[in-house]
Amino acid sequence: MKVNRRQVLLAGGAMGTAALLAACSGGTNSDVDSAARPGGGGRPRKGGTLRVGALGRAGAVTRDPHGTQANESDYLIIALVHDTLTAPGGGTSNTAPRLATRWEPSADLRTWRFTLAEGALFHDGTPVTADDVVWSLRRLRNTPAGASRLPGIKAANITADGPRTVVLVSDYPNAELPLLTRLSTFVLKKDTPDSALAKAPGTGPFRLDWFRSGNARLVRNEKWHGGEVLLDAIEVKLFESPQAMANALLAGQIDLASNAGAVAARTAERRKDIQIVRRPDDMAMPIVMRAASGPFADPRVREALRLCVDREAMVRQVLSGYGTVGNDIMGTGDPAYAKDLPRRTRDLARAKSLLKEADFDTAKTYRLMTTEDVPGLAESATLFATQAREAGVKVEVVKQESASFYADTWLKGDLYTTYWGTNDSVLFFASKTMGSESSQNEAGWKDAAFDAAYRRAIGTKDAAARAKALREVQRIQHESSGYLLWGVAEGIDLAAAPVRGLPELPGYGRVQLERAWLAR
Amino acid sequence: MAGPLTPAAGTPLREPAAAAATLRRALGGALWLGGVLARRALLLAVLLAAVFAAVELLPGDAATATSERGENAADMAARRELLGLDRPVHIRFADWMTGLPTGDLGTSARGESIAGLLSRPFPNTLLLGGLALLLTLVVSVALGCWAALRPGGPVDRAVSATATGVLALPEFVVGVALVLVLSLWTGWLPAVTLAGADGTPASWDMLILPVLALAVPQIGWNTRIVRAALADEATAPHVETAVIDGLTRRRVLTHHLLPGALPTITAGIATSTGMLLGGAVVVETVFNYPGIGSVLAGAVTDRDSPLIAAVVAVTGAVITLVLLLADLIRAWASGARA
Repeated sequence: MKVNRRQVLLAGGAMGTAALLAACSGGTNSDVDSAARPGGGGRPRKGGTLRVGALGRAGAVTRDPHGTQANESDYLIIALVHDTLTAPGGGTSNTAPRLATRWEPSADLRTWRFTLAEGALFHDGTPVTADDVVWSLRRLRNTPAGASRLPGIKAANITADGPRTVVLVSDYPNAELPLLTRLSTFVLKKDTPDSALAKAPGTGPFRLDWFRSGNARLVRNEKWHGGEVLLDAIEVKLFESPQAMANALLAGQIDLASNAGAVAARTAERRKDIQIVRRPDDMAMPIVMRAASGPFADPRVREALRLCVDREAMVRQVLSGYGTVGNDIMGTGDPAYAKDLPRRTRDLARAKSLLKEADFDTAKTYRLMTTEDVPGLAESATLFATQAREAGVKVEVVKQESASFYADTWLKGDLYTTYWGTNDSVLFFASKTMGSESSQNEAGWKDAAFDAAYRRAIGTKDAAARAKALREVQRIQHESSGYLLWGVAEGIDLAAAPVRGLPELPGYGRVQLERAWLAR
Repeated sequence: MAGPLTPAAGTPLREPAAAAATLRRALGGALWLGGVLARRALLLAVLLAAVFAAVELLPGDAATATSERGENAADMAARRELLGLDRPVHIRFADWMTGLPTGDLGTSARGESIAGLLSRPFPNTLLLGGLALLLTLVVSVALGCWAALRPGGPVDRAVSATATGVLALPEFVVGVALVLVLSLWTGWLPAVTLAGADGTPASWDMLILPVLALAVPQIGWNTRIVRAALADEATAPHVETAVIDGLTRRRVLTHHLLPGALPTITAGIATSTGMLLGGAVVVETVFNYPGIGSVLAGAVTDRDSPLIAAVVAVTGAVITLVLLLADLIRAWASGARA
């Protein structure tokens, strides 16, 4: 999601409100009692309307499930109306069933067969067929960003095998292919014309009652294949600014403020009637050091910068404590995340000696490019610059406006901040941002051993061998990639006390509201 | 048979000289009106050209700003062509301008009809601005008169001091304070404006805080204008005569002071229109009000020149109309007094 400049301007006002609220509420900082925790407490009850606030821009509203959803509100609505093939999971697997209940790879890991849920129906009552899914996936693949949404899968290699089986053939062995079908593989009826997208029936837990300028009312799909839905309806309200959204929650005008952020959470901390739902491993905001060329091409320099940073202080100050320390490995929420690799901590003496060894020019000032696209991003750059100075590296922070950042800095700059919201897969980043071939290699980092380990990890069926390869991917990345991942932000939703059964998964897991219910 | 061209029986015929004078005056009035309209239209066109030029100067363009991470250069180029961005800016501007007279506001960078994008938010903003203007007018005239009736007294001094303090407050500060006090602490009013199924505010009480946030600074500004205009008028000989004649203060105010101060008050209120519509952009963000403020902010982020220009055009048209109305009122008021 993108935040516009006006919202940043208003952040000053937001801070003021937060401070005043904190000063005026006399209550102590007590936890919401355990019964009010999301997911737990009481017997699930049917009925009620959940009013959800979601961020978005009125001018960027889109109804196309395969289009560019810059608005959380649009994504939320689309995700509740249309099912994806698979969904983000929790626990031991980061891929959970959705419209597909099972998937099976061929021995060479190139052909994957997805079996559709029995009894899955569109909202108009017609059964979902493999043809519908094939048509939808091909439509997705043929969008401008299709190649990065379904990498390695050509449109022609998406086919139906019988009424309930969809076959995807990858250009190369890919053990993680089901992961690719989690986020935007929304299923529409075959041959839905573009003009009918706005009212097209989905297969999801809710069907559209009305939609108007980013606001919508969704009502329960009584016949959802995924089980019983408890809420009668969900009303989605579009908010331009996180502060207005938090105010609406505090004033009781909405029940859930989706992805409200740390500032709002601080405001709500003293309110007993507000639950703070923390979804770990939500957003990575790494610093990218150009490995291909420029002053940071020497791995010793990159190592030195990684040693400069005081990670605990970054998490405490930039994320208000709503996050965890990172170890320069992207994809911290992966069940296979290598927790055993040595934790890098601050070591200024070692950093200085590495810089000396690499003959790094400490007389020069280096520009760190950043944006205010997500909360905390620019702050992280500023704090890093302060910390780097203590190791003798002069860093000047330059804030760029989002459009110029993507035009001039992203994928090109020597030193810049970036952010990623799909943070539950090590291989997602390996394929997208670090492989020699990847089109979005942010640091221009190329490493033959890494590529080999990556290919082993996605091309090996044997679980133990795969695990070994996965660890190797992370070890090489930890040692020499162009990323400095100091920490990972938690996703923070705020909810009124009666709301139960809220999702606790990172990233787009937050849109899975079909199990939510109201205890009132 | 009495047709439209034959004077009905009994209608007194005007003397030729008087009729000619009336005609001359009507013609002169029409010419003046036409001149004013033409000047304002030209000004608006120049402004719109400036908007296109300004967006062109911003880094990035509509294709990059609305793209998705992962889109490759070829797709970007295709979209640039689709949006017409490969053509020079003056051609794009001319294209867009020629559509204006037919009511065609063009297509946004995201492929939506701009007229459709503004069809709900713009009336909402007009409602917000209109209510704030009305409130500003009523309250500032009332406060100004109240103070003017007791020149130099405690009420006068209090009103003047408060007005000065208030006019310096930015709308968003007023807005945040109002939310804090009237909503979050007391729970009296909704904190934000939520849109219903038809796109308008879901209930009327959601309008109170945004209207107040918008009107308060303008009330401060206009109260001072009203008060000053009344003070000026109080020194006029006919007012002094009226006072010496022993008319009541109220009568002096309504029959002698206010009519004389009317042109100044009208000018003050008219200038507030621009400030109100400008302030609406900020206030709408604070209150999540479903108006054009959010559309405009998003359009700037998207480098969406036609959409930004369309917002400027419709807002400019409204301001032009109000200014014209004010000019007419002033012309009428000074003519009536001459």
